[in-house]
Amino acid sequence: MVIDLDRCTGCRGCMEACKIENNTPQATFWMYVFRFEEGEYPGTKVWFMPRPCMHCDNAPCVKVCPVGARYKREDGIVATDWDRCIGCRYCEVACPYGVNTFNWTHPEEQYYLDWQDPGVASTTGGSVPPWSNPDLELPYGPEERRIAGGGRNKGVIEKCTFCVQRVEKGLDPACVVSCPVKALVFGDLDDPDSAASKLLASRHSFTLLEEVGTEPRVHYVGGHPPHSESKQVEAVEARV
Amino acid sequence: MKRRVITLLMVAAGFGLQAIAYLFLAAPLGIPSAVRFSNPRVPFAPALFILGVILVFLAGVVYELMPDRAGRSTGEG
Amino acid sequence: MAEQIATLPYGVGRASARWKLLVAFLAGIAILGWYGWYLEIRRGMIVTGLRNIGPMGGATWGFDVGFVVYWAGVSFAGITMAAVIRIAKLRQLRPIARMAEALTVVALILATFAIMYDLGQPFRGIINLFRYARPQSPFFGTFTLVISGYLFASAVYLYLDGRRDAAICARTPGRLQWFHRLWAAGYRDTPLERERHERAGFWLAVAIVPLLVTANATLGFVFGLQVGRPGWYSALQAPAFVLLAGVSGIGMLIGIAAVVRRTVADGERLSDDVFRWLGNALMFLLLGYLYFMVVELLTNVYTGSEREREVTAALLSGRYAWIYWGSVALFVIPLALLIVRYFRRGGGLATLVASGIMVNLAAIGKRFLIVVPSQTHGTLLPYGTGSYVPTWVEWAEMAGLFAFGALLLALFAKLFPIMPIGERDDA
Repeated sequence: MVIDLDRCTGCRGCMEACKIENNTPQATFWMYVFRFEEGEYPGTKVWFMPRPCMHCDNAPCVKVCPVGARYKREDGIVATDWDRCIGCRYCEVACPYGVNTFNWTHPEEQYYLDWQDPGVASTTGGSVPPWSNPDLELPYGPEERRIAGGGRNKGVIEKCTFCVQRVEKGLDPACVVSCPVKALVFGDLDDPDSAASKLLASRHSFTLLEEVGTEPRVHYVGGHPPHSESKQVEAVEARV
Repeated sequence: MKRRVITLLMVAAGFGLQAIAYLFLAAPLGIPSAVRFSNPRVPFAPALFILGVILVFLAGVVYELMPDRAGRSTGEG
Repeated sequence: MAEQIATLPYGVGRASARWKLLVAFLAGIAILGWYGWYLEIRRGMIVTGLRNIGPMGGATWGFDVGFVVYWAGVSFAGITMAAVIRIAKLRQLRPIARMAEALTVVALILATFAIMYDLGQPFRGIINLFRYARPQSPFFGTFTLVISGYLFASAVYLYLDGRRDAAICARTPGRLQWFHRLWAAGYRDTPLERERHERAGFWLAVAIVPLLVTANATLGFVFGLQVGRPGWYSALQAPAFVLLAGVSGIGMLIGIAAVVRRTVADGERLSDDVFRWLGNALMFLLLGYLYFMVVELLTNVYTGSEREREVTAALLSGRYAWIYWGSVALFVIPLALLIVRYFRRGGGLATLVASGIMVNLAAIGKRFLIVVPSQTHGTLLPYGTGSYVPTWVEWAEMAGLFAFGALLLALFAKLFPIMPIGERDDA
């Protein structure tokens, strides 16, 4: 994925689109957008940085998974098999980017509203939760493992999957499709003709935390990496 | 004599099983770039590794507990 | 050799009212801990104070993981004793061997429970670890070597080492005779069998020592290899873990030995010499561990990346400072007491036991400080500071484990002689 920081307006629509596509429960945000402020008034600058999972080529989370539930697919996506995950959360502590979320309780109890409540059910037509995506139950890839979607089981870890259930159908991830200013571009960086490769080639780019050697597959063009002056404003302080 | 042989065989088998399970049967080592780095090559390979560890220490039990040939103990360890 | 012993030694088979009361009390706390785990299984880990790192601003590893490392560390004691007694032929320490071995087995059982408490899917975990465990993950070593290998090896050692005493006890009729006979498995105290017994014990001790070192080093690697957590990523973790294991293990052993000396019939067999040796061992291990702490402190204070400095600041002067300096004090004070004891060639048992307790509290604090601050502070992306406060469930689970461990040892002491029975003309 290539993210154009000059375009991002910090609307966080990608965070919501991800939540709806992947059915993530409360306080779980796979896509996260930092809102930074730098400098002293009146010279302050405000900028925004979307941060999906980096799907690293040298992923520390894959290396440490004791049972191989977190694995790297041939197409580059780092996936989590929620049938195999034992909930040790080692991937979560190993990730330098903090992209992992854990199901601290039964996901059905964490969907913002009590969907069983008659007052609510009358507006949703009775489905619980109303945005459940049937594609998330299916196994994917030649390895036939169930890796899609959030809020699968109590006690397992999950994270951004680059919407594998959409990618397998040839579609772009939900965050990419929903961005009103086309700040997110998804594609095959090995193919020089893809939109992502062209965008990457056109400007100076960087990856986050290059010095730790994870070889992330998410590149940023425009802007600069956050540094010590970058202070988060309007952090999403969500806690279950 | 038989006791010593069996004990040493068990120790060797135990270490051998550990080495084989670790290097050849469990998930391959290396920077993970494909699904195979996250799956054992043989299912339950870690159980085999543990069996190897158990074999090594069971050898001690065998060494002590193995009954002597009926009637005579030969005086050898 | 052929006379019957009228009563079993060291109070085996005789349960006093005081003992029964103790067992009931410990069982109550242990059950409370397991109730906490039951809640965790039913509702999920939300009943703990753990939360996600990152936007949720929590720590995902806390008490549970800290205590896994602590218990694995305490298990160091038994095998060190076994190795030292057999390999270095320090026969005068024989009296403490059995309780040390029992401590190792019990501590590893507690570590296993602590791991189960920590997994989001513990029962799936048991199957999937045996089926899929990957050598590349540092947890592979924890699972196969520490929990499976080391526990089995220690149990084998305890079993074989006890056969001779089991044979002696089996000569006394009573309710436990069948158990002692089973354990003895036909041991006859002939010179041949004794020689075999000594040889097997020697080689087992030799084989377990590398297992012990790799087990504790692997635990260090769990943290030390994580480049993404400032404060963890360090080559010092593995060796420091081994040393702290020694400190906490010997400290715990001192406490148990003191209890045995006071409460068990003929407990005075645990002579002052044994305690002096333990005190000296603790002193040297403490010196070694404090060396590591000083090196780490100087390195972090001299310079570090911005994030590492955040973690260091939190430890030295920020939120965790009281735990950090408290642990330092609880290491330094015992060290001073032990040095004084060393030069005075003896001293009261009370200061030694107090030292043992203090270093264990410090070890618990230090384990906590290894696990938590690098999650709440110093995250490489600027999420801001997180927080972790353990809930009553976590406190109950941990207290329950301490109680369960004490319970197992108390039960063991009534089923089997807690000290090796008087050695005649040691072969």
